[in-house]
Amino acid sequence: MNRPTRRLAVGVMICFGLLALMSTWVQVLAADDYRLDPRNARFNLAQSGKERGLILSADGVVLARSDPDPDTPGTYVRVYPEGEAFTHVVGYASLLFGENGLERIYSADLRSRRDLTISDLIAVILGRDLRPDNLQITLDAQLQRTALAALDGQAGSVVALNPQTGEILAMVSFPSFDPALLLGPDAAERWQELVDDPARPLADRTTRELYPPGSTFKVIVTGAALQSGVAGPETTFPDPAEFQLPGSDSTISNFDGDVCNDGASVTLQQAFVRSCNTTFANLAIQVGAVEIGGVANAFGFNNPIESPWTIATSNFPTSQLSDDQAALGQSGIGERDVRATPLQMALVAAGVANDGVVMNPYLVERIFNADGVDQEMAEQSPLRTALAPATAEVLTQLMERVVTSGTGRRAAVPGQRVAGKTGTASGPGGQPHAWFIGFAPVENPTIALAVLVEAGGNVGETATGGGVAAPIAAEVFAEWLNR
Amino acid sequence: MTRTVEGGLLTGAAVLAAFGVTLVNLAGGGSLDARVGLTFVVMLLAFGGVHLAIRRWAPSASNALLPPAALLTALGLAEIHRLDPARAALQQWWLLIAAGLAVGMLRIFATTRLDTIRRYRNLLLAGALVLLVLPLLPSSGPIPIKGLEANGSRLWVLIDLGITEMRFQPGEIAKLIVVLFLASYLAERQSSLADRPRKVGPFHLPEPRQLFPLVLVWAASLGVLVGQRDLGASLLLFGAFVGMLYTATGRPAYLAVGGLLAVGGGFAAYRVFDHVVRRVEAWISPFEHFEGSGYQVAQAWFGMGTGSLSGSGLGLGRPDLIPNADTDFIFAAIAEELGFAGSIAVIAAFAMLVAVGFGIALRSRDRFRKLTAAGLTWVFALQTLLILGGVLRLVPLTGITLPFVSYGGSSLVGNFLLVGLLARISHEEQT
Repeated sequence: MNRPTRRLAVGVMICFGLLALMSTWVQVLAADDYRLDPRNARFNLAQSGKERGLILSADGVVLARSDPDPDTPGTYVRVYPEGEAFTHVVGYASLLFGENGLERIYSADLRSRRDLTISDLIAVILGRDLRPDNLQITLDAQLQRTALAALDGQAGSVVALNPQTGEILAMVSFPSFDPALLLGPDAAERWQELVDDPARPLADRTTRELYPPGSTFKVIVTGAALQSGVAGPETTFPDPAEFQLPGSDSTISNFDGDVCNDGASVTLQQAFVRSCNTTFANLAIQVGAVEIGGVANAFGFNNPIESPWTIATSNFPTSQLSDDQAALGQSGIGERDVRATPLQMALVAAGVANDGVVMNPYLVERIFNADGVDQEMAEQSPLRTALAPATAEVLTQLMERVVTSGTGRRAAVPGQRVAGKTGTASGPGGQPHAWFIGFAPVENPTIALAVLVEAGGNVGETATGGGVAAPIAAEVFAEWLNR
Repeated sequence: MTRTVEGGLLTGAAVLAAFGVTLVNLAGGGSLDARVGLTFVVMLLAFGGVHLAIRRWAPSASNALLPPAALLTALGLAEIHRLDPARAALQQWWLLIAAGLAVGMLRIFATTRLDTIRRYRNLLLAGALVLLVLPLLPSSGPIPIKGLEANGSRLWVLIDLGITEMRFQPGEIAKLIVVLFLASYLAERQSSLADRPRKVGPFHLPEPRQLFPLVLVWAASLGVLVGQRDLGASLLLFGAFVGMLYTATGRPAYLAVGGLLAVGGGFAAYRVFDHVVRRVEAWISPFEHFEGSGYQVAQAWFGMGTGSLSGSGLGLGRPDLIPNADTDFIFAAIAEELGFAGSIAVIAAFAMLVAVGFGIALRSRDRFRKLTAAGLTWVFALQTLLILGGVLRLVPLTGITLPFVSYGGSSLVGNFLLVGLLARISHEEQT
């Protein structure tokens, strides 16, 4: 009777061996497959409640911090003291909805490396720092608040940067929301409300939404005309009230339906300052799609910009327009298929301001550890050279006149030399998007910006770039220049 | 290993349990509290009690039985406390009850030898059958003992005591009684079952008269399968029956036929019961059925994979994401928080306990005791292998408890009695 018992025992022991093998498979050999499976919620859950680093503005205002959770000792809650003003830049770190914005991109730096296991002890012995790193970003909190207030509740965005360095000084998208909504106990409901909100507060109107740039695109067309020698500021063009698009029944008329100058002729400078559509449709066809596309690409169109995150790619369909003059005429005034993000249009202004060189835009100035020691510093680098310095010089003069005596007069700041260009682009339901791009001070530009007010803002169908967007730009310029 | 060393190891297990509860409290942001001391005292009372009972009434018993059981109980208590402190408190009451019953049993056999049981063989069979039928009682009605259904299986009995209710799984006790019955029956009829005078076609069969009680046990396990719709309990009963038949006769044919019947029965269950279909799905492709039947196994594997070598630490993983983590999936919870190190410790402790049990069987000279020891060890091993194999996907999942580790009073009582019986057998062999 001992033989069968012994055999049974051996069989059982072999089975225990198989269990140990399976355990080795799950927990050692293939552990990472299961640990990193996207359906395994443990990683995200493990991060929730951990301390995260500070996010500070350039002027030292706390934009995100972790406070000890009074309800659960040993854990932290994320706090966004500035509420909705920085949401689309700083983002959020939410258990249910993951991370977004800088909270997502710099998550590895912002996360505490403490995991309360033996590895903490080993790390301490090895002298590693477990505390999270912190970010200082380039946004100026005061300028950001000013820009948000200047939008005055209108859907739209303001992007301002230092044209000489590429530092982004303000980046406001409105409507926005307080990230605290996504951290509370009823986060799922709040999220659904945000998703369903027709005002689309989740949309980032600075870098992820594309709009027809309207007449602000004339800066690029003019740059291409000057660069290619097709026209100079004093070159004259016919001045009809309507421009017949070649090979088409369509016409292009000026904003007020009238002639631009005297009905006989108009100089490029006059047309730019008064934003004459007839002249620019004509000019675009004369300059050609390839020349315009070249300059647009040099400013960043048709190329993905990866800083600070992947920016929606602005579009100028060069090859499509090469053999369609009617479409090219419409594209010359920033309509038809031309699309741009407000960040892209701010880069256009910045490129003109910086003698034709577009600097790489950046948001994070430095990453520093808990002792305040810098770990990483931003590096300034040119993105592309868009225009020759002489061309930029002429364009600057034209843009200054827009503010002193043209459509952009309401962007003027007393005592400062401001340059800019307005735009009124077709929007939904006949309510135009109002644009203003520009920079200041002209003699040594320290700020370049783009303002966009969506779908007429508070004004509706009669909104114009000069009437709605330019005054917002003036407030932002004033805040920055009059310090 | 002396009795004193055993006592030291049991104290060590009590310290381990208290330490585990402390870690769980600290990880949850709490601090040392009464539960830490209580865990230590309960562990010490339970295992110390059985230890003293063995010293007094079975002094020659093997002293390698209690330490692995104590280690498993300690790990189980800590993990249950981590998952559900209220259940851990209940489990401690059950631990005391189970230890008390084991002590009582050792006391009874101190004056009457285990052999006495053989006189009540038919009573045992009847008792086992009654216990197995109990869960089929109506779940409502005038009778204070009611059947209960949970997770698609009808394994529970609820005793309505008027002031309070008590739930238990009679199957956990029935399996012990079935083993005792089979041991007693087979010890007598061993030779007649090994002889096969009858010839039906190419098959040699024993006398049908000899087979009758065995057919009854087989029918009972089938009845459990159909009536209670539970593959685990039924497989355990049937496995005990086949394993002991093989041990008694040494005829591998019994194993082969039993294996075929088990597979056939399992296949029939697969065709008939939806919850068996889901379990097979969860076994073969849990990750493809993540949103449904595979969720539990997939979560267990995510947890074990995340636990990796050294685990997240007690109280720092997320075993609460695994449904039924404190019963069927307690192994996955321990593996997640204590890592591969913890899993191997659990598997090794079981292997050790099983090895000691088989050792007792092999050293027994008396046929009845030998069969009892082998049968008890085999049932214990089979239950462990079925549930661990289910969690680790060697076999389809069957909803049974992991002895000593899982939350569950009946299981604890059954396994304490089982270890007590093994201790008694090893003592009687020495005297």
